[in-house]
Amino acid sequence: MPWRYMAGRLLMFVVTIWMASTIVFFLPRLSGQNPLAEKIYQDAQRGGYQDPAVEERVRVFEQKYGFDRPLWEQYVKFVGDVVQFDLGRSIYQWPKSVNEILAEKIMWTLSMGLLTLVLAFLIGSTMGALLEWKRNNWGLMVAMAPILAISAVPFFIFGLVLQLLVFNVNREFPMVYGFKQGVIGWPDWSDWEFVLSVLKHGILPAMSITLVSLGGWAMGMRGMMVTTKGEDYMVQAEAKGLPERIMLTKYAIRNSLLPQVTGLTLALGLIVSGVVLVEIVFGYPGVGGQLLQAVRSNDYPTTQGIVFVLAFGTAAATLVLDLTYPLLDPRIKSGGS
Amino acid sequence: MNWLDSLATNSEFIRDRIIPIFRYVRRNRLMLIGIGAFLALTLFVGISYLFYEQEDLLGETRGVNGLVRAASVQANQRPSWNPWSGYPLGTDLQGRDIYAAVVVGIPLSLRIGLIAAAIGVGVGMLLAFVAAYLGGVVDAVIRTVVDSLIPIPGLLVLVLVATSLNPGQGLSVDQLAFVIAVLAWPGPARVIRSQVLVIRERGYVEMARMSGTGALGIIFREMMPNLAPYALASFVAAVSGSILASIGVESLGLGPLDSPTLGSMIYWNIFNSSVLLGLWYWLLPPIVVLITLFVGLFMISAGLDEVANPRLRRRV
Repeated sequence: MPWRYMAGRLLMFVVTIWMASTIVFFLPRLSGQNPLAEKIYQDAQRGGYQDPAVEERVRVFEQKYGFDRPLWEQYVKFVGDVVQFDLGRSIYQWPKSVNEILAEKIMWTLSMGLLTLVLAFLIGSTMGALLEWKRNNWGLMVAMAPILAISAVPFFIFGLVLQLLVFNVNREFPMVYGFKQGVIGWPDWSDWEFVLSVLKHGILPAMSITLVSLGGWAMGMRGMMVTTKGEDYMVQAEAKGLPERIMLTKYAIRNSLLPQVTGLTLALGLIVSGVVLVEIVFGYPGVGGQLLQAVRSNDYPTTQGIVFVLAFGTAAATLVLDLTYPLLDPRIKSGGS
Repeated sequence: MNWLDSLATNSEFIRDRIIPIFRYVRRNRLMLIGIGAFLALTLFVGISYLFYEQEDLLGETRGVNGLVRAASVQANQRPSWNPWSGYPLGTDLQGRDIYAAVVVGIPLSLRIGLIAAAIGVGVGMLLAFVAAYLGGVVDAVIRTVVDSLIPIPGLLVLVLVATSLNPGQGLSVDQLAFVIAVLAWPGPARVIRSQVLVIRERGYVEMARMSGTGALGIIFREMMPNLAPYALASFVAAVSGSILASIGVESLGLGPLDSPTLGSMIYWNIFNSSVLLGLWYWLLPPIVVLITLFVGLFMISAGLDEVANPRLRRRV
């Protein structure tokens, strides 16, 4: 096992988590606002009479949130809590804890992100490989042209285009929200009709991410295939008379896939940012809409929690990819660069 | 070929430096299409600024800028699409002339991209040279910071920065550009650092070092010209990335909502769910412009990649 390599990656993971928690802690505090007091004043006014004890209540709640302590003490406590996934309580949706809010939403976001990433990676890489392997295949080239053209467009802009198209073709097709109407509270996943509606609602958001990302993977794969095809072992494989299928899968694709996996780690952050926006466009029940609401209502703990958890998810996925890399590329195992 | 040759006779600089670029661009079809798309947008904006006029609420004739400032060309009128009525792209929910808004929005969005990318590439380049030149601990620190920033989803950090700078009121166009610049440097720093490491070992740099050229001389006279294609490619990529980031931040309603940048037009469209209201003519113009812009920039940067990386050139 390449211990040095793995230790380096682990260290990087720790640094990322620390940086994410630091960014998440300090940025909202730069604004110099006091969202907690604002919220309490707002609620106090809503009652219709002036609550004489409102100042007192602000003080009590500030103590509860720990806002009365010195900044460094808050920071140390925050980082300590956050690495144990204690993300505090929401201000806007008091007394809900951020964990509770996230628990409802995060799986939608993560599964959408993971599914689209894997789909785009597999389909895109295969297309790229075939594009180079079967040169001058008209069907493939015609299919590639529009995919390449849209690959520069942001996910959610393409999502809007899809919405426009579908709206004008079939108004019955689900375009907003994540499942059928009339489901309140925790949905019942054993209900077939519900699961079907989830899949149906997921089609458009998933398409808007997958179709856009295909082009990048295909071009990367094609570029690597060009290099791989010129290698000596390919000539040898051909001279040996290996069947073309084996040459393609065991020789060409296998050797071209490595840089693609590196690309996967770089794409993770982009996908997460993209999914958040796509969710807002489609009203999908993931954390995107929640983030928007938290940002609008100055709900720092929720904003911090969402950003931290998403950053943690991406960093963890990157770590897993990095740690499996030596299994794919034995050269790292033997200590080469 | 003719006009190129006639130009070439005038000065040595043009003949030896500029003409080859033109000749090359003519062969590099990707870059040609990209630059073409970009020029088309610029022309569209320029011509509209010069000639487009419309009556506003007060019955005064105004150019695009004035129209947008006036916020509304028609009061209390339903959004409409009637290209023959004098509003070529119709009017939106607030009665604003969509054509004028798009014409004003394109330069604003480009401005955000250019400012953020210039800062990002500048800082990135500086860090890259510092890291590659000093090496050791400095290099390790810069590399670790850059690498550990990559898994953090950029948009989310930008959302935090934008909300903390000016909560509840939205940012101005230039403020937004600076916000985007906060995360525009790690990418260029990464790319340029690895190139500096490669170029540093080249023969001509060694040669210059041995003939006693100082560090600054080597950087500016020997390395910069050879880094130019890479720097330019990462600049174009950074412009595209910054516009993308700005559109993302703006679509969350954190941008300059009073200026009709392309992103805030998208925001108002999402906010009012224009698709479901059937106001496709409000959503389509900013989307078409954005797609042209992104695809154009993408092609330019793909073309520049080809310049920087001659191995790709064979496939043209």
